[in-house]
Amino acid sequence: MSFRYTLAGRLLRDPLAVLGLSIIVLLVLSALFADHLSPHAYAELNIANRFASPSLEHWLGTDNLGRDTLSRVLQGGRIALLVGILSVVIAGGIGLLLGTLAGFGPRWLDNTILFLFDTMRAYPTIILALALATLMPRGLSTVIIVVVLTSFSEYGRVARTQTQSLREHEFIAAERALGASSIRIILRHILPNILGPFFILVAINLPVVITIEAGMSFLGVGVPPGTPSWGSTLKDGFDHIRTTPWLILGGGIPLILVTIGFTFLGEALRDVLDPKLRGER
Amino acid sequence: MKPTKNPCHSSDATAITRRRFLQGTAGLGAMTLLPMQVWASGNTLRIRTYTEPDNFDPVDASGFGEEMLYGCIYRKLIQYVPGEQWGYDLDLAEKIEQRTPTEIAFTLKKRQMWSDGYGEITSEDIKFSFERILDPAMKSSLTQDLGSLTHVEITGTHSGVLHLDRPFSPIWGIALPYLAGTIVCKKAVEAVGGRITTAIPPTVSGPYRVRELRTGDRWILERNPEYSGPQADFERVDIVHIDDALTAEIGLEAGNLEFTRVSPGSVLRLRRQKPAGTMLTEHPSLYYAWLGMNLDSPKLSDIRVRQAIQYAIDVPSTLTAAYSGSVESSTGIIAPGLVGHRNNTLIPPEGDLEIARLLLDQAGVSTLNLRLDVLNTSVWTSAAQVIQATAGAIGINIEIHAHESGSFWSLGKESDGDRWKNLELVLNRFSMAPDPYYATSWFTTEQVGIWNWERFSNKEFDQLHQDALAETDNTKRHEMYVRMQNLMEESGAYRFLTHESTANLYVSNVVPATRPDGLPLIQLFRKA
Repeated sequence: MSFRYTLAGRLLRDPLAVLGLSIIVLLVLSALFADHLSPHAYAELNIANRFASPSLEHWLGTDNLGRDTLSRVLQGGRIALLVGILSVVIAGGIGLLLGTLAGFGPRWLDNTILFLFDTMRAYPTIILALALATLMPRGLSTVIIVVVLTSFSEYGRVARTQTQSLREHEFIAAERALGASSIRIILRHILPNILGPFFILVAINLPVVITIEAGMSFLGVGVPPGTPSWGSTLKDGFDHIRTTPWLILGGGIPLILVTIGFTFLGEALRDVLDPKLRGER
Repeated sequence: MKPTKNPCHSSDATAITRRRFLQGTAGLGAMTLLPMQVWASGNTLRIRTYTEPDNFDPVDASGFGEEMLYGCIYRKLIQYVPGEQWGYDLDLAEKIEQRTPTEIAFTLKKRQMWSDGYGEITSEDIKFSFERILDPAMKSSLTQDLGSLTHVEITGTHSGVLHLDRPFSPIWGIALPYLAGTIVCKKAVEAVGGRITTAIPPTVSGPYRVRELRTGDRWILERNPEYSGPQADFERVDIVHIDDALTAEIGLEAGNLEFTRVSPGSVLRLRRQKPAGTMLTEHPSLYYAWLGMNLDSPKLSDIRVRQAIQYAIDVPSTLTAAYSGSVESSTGIIAPGLVGHRNNTLIPPEGDLEIARLLLDQAGVSTLNLRLDVLNTSVWTSAAQVIQATAGAIGINIEIHAHESGSFWSLGKESDGDRWKNLELVLNRFSMAPDPYYATSWFTTEQVGIWNWERFSNKEFDQLHQDALAETDNTKRHEMYVRMQNLMEESGAYRFLTHESTANLYVSNVVPATRPDGLPLIQLFRKA
């Protein structure tokens, strides 16, 4: 098959997908190499140089404790990606497992799992975050738990619907007739066929997850004080918005970029993986 | 000559022309401005509170939120005078004097009336108001404020004597002019079952009365037409609940408030440039903030470790970061201007990292991991991060734990679970009344596990606290409180940070009345 008809080839023909991918690659690289790219130590205080405007020394200025904003934004990217990827992998894994079981299993199991999905979906993310923050130590693990608890049901619902649709197909019936076990059917035939829509959801959900982390840090229930994060940079910016606009920009622009990047990529993936929707954007 | 038709005037009086439409629109616009002009003329005073008053009964009062409200609707024997010096003025009392160290005689002004037909304010009301706070059955949080007051003797319809079982100096600074000194109507309170829990108080005596309570939003007061004193300047007062100071500042600039306290981070900016038509005042505050260390924590049991932390903290740098440099370092828990204020700390505010390292070496500690609990606000998390950085320089790794208000204020209380056992370092801030007794009372042995989160227990301190209460010689009293703060600092459990400051922003067509610590006396606000 020529490159033109592969997934990558089809994605690269879509300008928005290329733009989305470029932004994501840029953000991932800047997060991975943050230690090398940061012009200053992100935790280095310089009280005498608080709220400095952008300059050659501090490209995005300094924050309320005189720390270099650019260095903190670069390090904040690590937190964002770490939370985003870990949360999506865990929530996606749980959702995939439960959703497939619900879709393939007996009615009583389907109802039970569906009830669990509905219950978890009923909790507003931020309210759940605030409640958990009083019970658990403040930190990345709490953020990840909150995100996983509030998002796994979404993956689960997609997996369940896809599985239910597939289980009625003739090739599944044929497999059954040939004596294939349920596990084999799920692993060999169901899972590979539901991964497409699943990855689209992952791509679209990643910026949402990153925004939840930023939102929790903004509200003071995310990462501990001092830990660089886009949300805490935004919060510092909000607290001192009358003094300097640079902190708001420093925390806000990466969030906008990551949202744009993953949204473009997610939509392009959807077009490529689901031809029925192609051109309907 | 054929008359020329003016294109701007139609001969048909009822026709809608473009010009008429514009004129009509302009007229309607002008009409909508009318209420704003009435507002701007100063008939309504809208003042922000960060803490919402939640009841009308002084027996249940908890803080300054209620004091602002009570000042407007109730009266006291004496009340604070606005200005820069702490003092009091006669309110209901025509005359009040300390007859002996344990007796205070008062005579009430005549024809001071309760509203809504409850008649004249008499010494029965005075006796009832004080003694119900003293009554253990009422479980009032203000009992302590009345100190050694035992009962009130009625000597006439308008006269009586407050009896103490031993001298109690703070009675003039805390008891009479503050929350516990609020006088309620005996007849009205008894009629509602002994405690005011009604949506609107049955009767008031102050310059304003309650029109409406919008929970979570504002208290709306209006002029009390039955007030016995001079008529209040404002027809209406809105005490608006806005938790966030920045929001309040924007509200004032947008014309939605007349008076607000501003955040420390805004003070420097406002000093440079105030919004048009506003004034900024700054006052020394009585609040006191400090870093406390739990003496019962095994990691902090060696006094040299605690002293190392004291020396490691650079107070001025911490304050610059947390308060944008708008406040001064403090020397203890008693603010300047009060009896007992210390001139200097034992450890210099800037600290000394060399001494800190030496002390840690002597204690045999090379690295130490500690947790620091703070309130989840910009001021405290900023201060914590500076302390974290400076402590890191001597090998102490601090992990910051930020809490929302409800969680934070129960950290050290034994009655609220076991979290007090995990306390190591804590950044704390207490409010204060204008008497040193109010500050030291939270650090006695009996407060361990309640408000004394450092679990500081010192017999000399406890004894001095009791002795200073009864001491009427201010020079001796001053020395006692200085010694008490020395004992606190020598224990290594405290690093005093600041008394903060109170900065108020208000519109220039209002003349605010504030206590010396900048807190508003709304009942005395005037139009410019």
